[in-house]
Amino acid sequence: MTSRTPDNSPESARTADSARAGRLLDRPLPPGYRAEWARHFAGARVQAGEADAPADTVLIFRLGGEWLALPADLVTEITEPRRSHSLPHRRDRLVRGIVNVRGELLVKIALAELLGIEGQEPAASQGTAFARLVVIGRADRRVAFHADEVHGLHRHGPEALRALPVTVDKNAARFASAVLDWDGRAVGRLDGAGLLDAVDRSLA
Amino acid sequence: MLFLMFRIGKDRYVLDAAQIEQVLPLVEAKELPGAPAGIVGVISYHGEPVPLIDLGLLATGRPVAEVMSSRIILVRYPGAEGEHRLALCAEQVIETLKREPGDFVATGVEAGLPDYLGPVAADADGFIQWIRAPALLSDELRALLFRLPGAAA
Repeated sequence: MTSRTPDNSPESARTADSARAGRLLDRPLPPGYRAEWARHFAGARVQAGEADAPADTVLIFRLGGEWLALPADLVTEITEPRRSHSLPHRRDRLVRGIVNVRGELLVKIALAELLGIEGQEPAASQGTAFARLVVIGRADRRVAFHADEVHGLHRHGPEALRALPVTVDKNAARFASAVLDWDGRAVGRLDGAGLLDAVDRSLA
Repeated sequence: MLFLMFRIGKDRYVLDAAQIEQVLPLVEAKELPGAPAGIVGVISYHGEPVPLIDLGLLATGRPVAEVMSSRIILVRYPGAEGEHRLALCAEQVIETLKREPGDFVATGVEAGLPDYLGPVAADADGFIQWIRAPALLSDELRALLFRLPGAAA
């Protein structure tokens, strides 16, 4: 501290910058500012509680008329849909063919078929929806599937998850682990490990 | 050692960052009519009433300017019966400062000055004075503010 050079040091540049930035804050408070912050800090400590709770990130996508969520750590790539090459002598309902994703040949599965949600009316979507090819899996066990629309990643706390209704058909609920509240919709949250195992079994 | 820097009037002061719980924006305070000088009211910190001291008013008799850079510093305050919180509002609460405690030297004019004024450290722009947060309140004020609910009745 005693051997500080007054000029041209990064420290003095930073001080000049912070002084300039500090002057930006020398403006009057907007109307209602104090009251609004007073209400914020008077309220219960919600933010802190949410930060402590383990948050989960999911990828939200649509298959036909169904919005689904998949744990984000399972998703390795989301890319443009591309031509799939059918596999000869393999007339499987679940395997649609192979796709080339940056030189890697991946099996393209019919996820809707696997989940038993095939044949539903596509939901009328506002604006333009872009179909995507989603690559999921871990290490060398990767597969791709076609999604009619991908919303993106969504981070939620445990309070956004609700248990599945008990009246849900057992087969349809095979891979759904919970129902997630998202944007006023109920989104089926898929059980990642169970889904991958089922994919492996169907490819064997 | 990390300090939080702020201004009272045109001079710079620092508080030990370890004593600070949070820096809040200038929230609205409930006024306390007839409160001693410097105490402008109580703010609600997640439901807990925290006395708010205007450092400008306390030190120079001029309340802090109502601008974005004026903020409230929430300090933890050691009391006879556990820790309390105390909210201090000051101007230009926008910078932290890293200095060694040894950089601060006594001003030499300690006598007759308020207890909360500590030693000073020099830099290119002048002196920075260390504020001792626990000494901001006199004993009677401390008893008044942090009286146990049972004892107050």
